[in-house]
Amino acid sequence: MVKFDAANAVSRRALMVAAAAVMLTGVPAYAQDNGLGTPEQPVEVRMIANEAFANQWQTLMVPEFNKAYPNIKVTIDGVPYVELLAKTMLDATGPTPTYDILIADDPWVPQLAEVGALADLKSAEFAGWTAADYDWADFNAAPLAAGEWKGVQYGVPLRSNMLMMFYNRALYEKAGVPEPTPALTWAEYLEQAPKLVQDTNADGKPDAWAVDTYFVREPLTPTIWQTIMNSNGGRLLDDNGKPAFNSEAGIAALETHKKLLEFAPTGAVSHGFSESLQAFRQGVVATMFNWGSVFKGSAIDPKTTTLKPEQVGIQVMPLGSTGPGAHRGIWNGTVSAKSEHKQAAWAVVQWLSSKQGEAWHSANLGVFPARKSTLASEPSEAWLKPVFAALQQAYDASEKGQMWRIRHPRSDAAQQILADEVSRAMAGQATAAEALQTAADKIEKVLN
Amino acid sequence: MTMAAERSARHSRSRTWTRLGDFASRWSFMAPAAIILGALLAYPIFYTIEISFSRFDLMTFSAVEWVGWENYAHVLDDYRFWASMKVTLIYLALALPIQIALGFGIAFLINAEWRGRAVVRALFIIPMVVAPVVAGGVFRMILDPLWGIMNYLLGLVGIGPLDWFGDPNLAMAAIVIIDTWRWTPFVVLIATAALLALPKDVFEAADIDGANWWSKLWSITLPLLVPIIAATFVVRWLGAVKMFDIALAATYGGPGGATNVINLFIYEEAFRSLRFAESAAMAVIILVLTMILTGLFLVGTRRLEDHY
Repeated sequence: MVKFDAANAVSRRALMVAAAAVMLTGVPAYAQDNGLGTPEQPVEVRMIANEAFANQWQTLMVPEFNKAYPNIKVTIDGVPYVELLAKTMLDATGPTPTYDILIADDPWVPQLAEVGALADLKSAEFAGWTAADYDWADFNAAPLAAGEWKGVQYGVPLRSNMLMMFYNRALYEKAGVPEPTPALTWAEYLEQAPKLVQDTNADGKPDAWAVDTYFVREPLTPTIWQTIMNSNGGRLLDDNGKPAFNSEAGIAALETHKKLLEFAPTGAVSHGFSESLQAFRQGVVATMFNWGSVFKGSAIDPKTTTLKPEQVGIQVMPLGSTGPGAHRGIWNGTVSAKSEHKQAAWAVVQWLSSKQGEAWHSANLGVFPARKSTLASEPSEAWLKPVFAALQQAYDASEKGQMWRIRHPRSDAAQQILADEVSRAMAGQATAAEALQTAADKIEKVLN
Repeated sequence: MTMAAERSARHSRSRTWTRLGDFASRWSFMAPAAIILGALLAYPIFYTIEISFSRFDLMTFSAVEWVGWENYAHVLDDYRFWASMKVTLIYLALALPIQIALGFGIAFLINAEWRGRAVVRALFIIPMVVAPVVAGGVFRMILDPLWGIMNYLLGLVGIGPLDWFGDPNLAMAAIVIIDTWRWTPFVVLIATAALLALPKDVFEAADIDGANWWSKLWSITLPLLVPIIAATFVVRWLGAVKMFDIALAATYGGPGGATNVINLFIYEEAFRSLRFAESAAMAVIILVLTMILTGLFLVGTRRLEDHY
């Protein structure tokens, strides 16, 4: 008891000193803690992230972060996407993990949380390190939910993404087809699609097509089918966590996804993210269903696209019977439960997901924000205005239709099964009904 | 004890010590290599076998509970495993004979004396040093139905456009073409060395007997090369059975599962689905099958060597 009281007395003294420091310097108390380093003893935190953006963060984001936190040295290791989860798991489950910050894709949080790799960001310990103006309620519900598992908040959205519909206004005009609006339905879209397959140079062969998107055998391809299904009221799993996608809505959605191939460029069955992006940026497809974050590179940056900003439109995916389609893809910032520098790690994640960090991230790197206030504000660039509007619609649609991948500790195994079976249907090796039934049987076993 | 007996006993003891010393000195030289081999080769294999009979706990990232044949039963019950095995067999049945025939054929052609032969031989090595993933990516661009040069060239002679990665048969053909591009030079190198090592006197005798080009090829060169061809086949077989990176880079195993070779399937199950125990079971099955088939091929090779 004596010791306890003494400790309390020390804590009180420490608090008084900290309070005095705040009054004198005007710097928040959490920034003064030794956990955030000092000029003499800086703290080093390591982050594991997708190599697609790790280098950009290291060279652009870290120096910006260091303006606010000069005593935290951040090192980011980029890992190819396909190896990222396995490497993260291997490191996080070791006795002395290398990484303090784990950047986890949308469906990975349950897996990492289940093995005890992640810290609870709303725990009392973290609450003490969280800035008073860090507004949790300001996040859109859909992106924030990606970092939650079994009621615990393990991650915050750092790079928010949504599957969206991109369209090339010039090709629509050439085909004499009205530009899409958020009120466009899948039935109307499929009715217009044949007209969007065009011979623009009159050599007798089509050189522009209606659509390109994910058709290849890979884990993100089923997200297109799933979005069509979700917007028609179908669900991946029922309330008991059993597969529910082998339904009428699921089969019809897979048939719609396959039908898109009829209006896609030759060889599109082997197209995925890069190939569809290339086709759109080369101006040979009128529409593309892809991640919204590619907008800047597809419409604005002349180094990466042949299209002009005024040529490119973006909106939610076409309407099904229950509403528009979108699909969530969030990169979550999480802190390793075994990190020795949790406070510094949380400072990085917290800054990047704060109103200030998010605004910088969006304006300078074209990354999509997750906060309502950022989306409602006047963006720093004019091209972001329609993008923000479409993104807000997509968040709402995603939340309403639960448009995200299976959330389960074995979600990647389930997603791979879906990839295999959707691909079989695409290649004509199985009917949509057969493929989905096989997938349902296998996924039920995997999830149990 | 007599003096002679004492001397004999001393001699025997000294011989034993000499033997022991000899044994110890030999093993002192061999031990580092044996330990390194044991650590790098045997340990991973035995660990894989252990995982294949266990439940793999992702929390500790280790095998935690003995489950007997359960993982093997799951694997054998999965149609995707059998489909991948079938795809692998088709790939091996196509790629290996083509590479062996092409390799020895090219070696035979470039074996003749002509200017620039050394340069051509050196150029042949280039595909071998290109990383498989790079080769797969480059060929993906070459064979792209929209922008690839292959369809453009075929179009000039009225063929196509061919959907190289969308049609299951063409996708398999693409994998075989890429693998053949990479590995035929290896066969050419071995075959060239073998051709240069053939005894000249036999050919001189055949010339004196008036044998023509075809007779010399069919009756002398090929029989003498049979053991080398068989050995090359075994070496290529061991390389080809491991192939997965070309398929990963070029076709992603698709369309459907048309090019999903077994090692790609194992890789995906392990590193994408995190099903390490089932993947280990598959790896052990493939290891055993490969060992059996390699053993059979080696027996066949020895018989061919004896026969020729």
